[in-house]
Amino acid sequence: MSVTEIRELNGALVDQINREALADPHSPYAGKWVGVANGKVVTVSDTLDETFKELQRIEPDPKRTRLIEASRDYSVVEYVWEVH
Amino acid sequence: MPRAIWPLHRGRPRLEVVLNTLSGMLLSPRNLVADSGAGSMQAPFELILTDQDCLASNATLTTTIQLGGAFSGAFPLYSLRIQVPQIGFDRILQVVGVPIVLTGFDGLAGFRFLNRFTYGNFGDPDQFGLEV
Repeated sequence: MSVTEIRELNGALVDQINREALADPHSPYAGKWVGVANGKVVTVSDTLDETFKELQRIEPDPKRTRLIEASRDYSVVEYVWEVH
Repeated sequence: MPRAIWPLHRGRPRLEVVLNTLSGMLLSPRNLVADSGAGSMQAPFELILTDQDCLASNATLTTTIQLGGAFSGAFPLYSLRIQVPQIGFDRILQVVGVPIVLTGFDGLAGFRFLNRFTYGNFGDPDQFGLEV
């Protein structure tokens, strides 16, 4: 499978996980950091540090991985006040 | 208490962070403007760096987020290792990748990052520092 295909698979999977976790607080992923590699969930933990390190151990190529904080609404606009 | 101090740069508060490459090599320190107006405590990001630096640092993509204000639009959010050696800080942080940053700086340290520490001039108006 090409890197492009893997990226698409990973993207679809993390989007699905986050949608489900946002809709259902009892989802097994709700409030967790979820690591995905090559189209599959490979690690879940309570901390970013732990999930990131485990994900890199399992799949060292970052182009084949994704990592998401399930239940976070990433559509919220965050402001960076302008420096003049 | 460990404290790191840097002189102001172009009259603005600054700090330095160190990035790691895939091979574990350290990149030269990156010069960030300390900007408490960059994001809130609830923001998904702590730093803003160039996309190029994020990708050179073995970053894992999280998703795309929406920014408004000085940086407006959709930008990738990454997870990557950030160090401030002077105070023993070594964590994985969420970082936004942007095409270009402020002239004279390599990026911004947002409020969520600054608020991990006691920060300020510690009595000297020509410096900025972080204290654990």
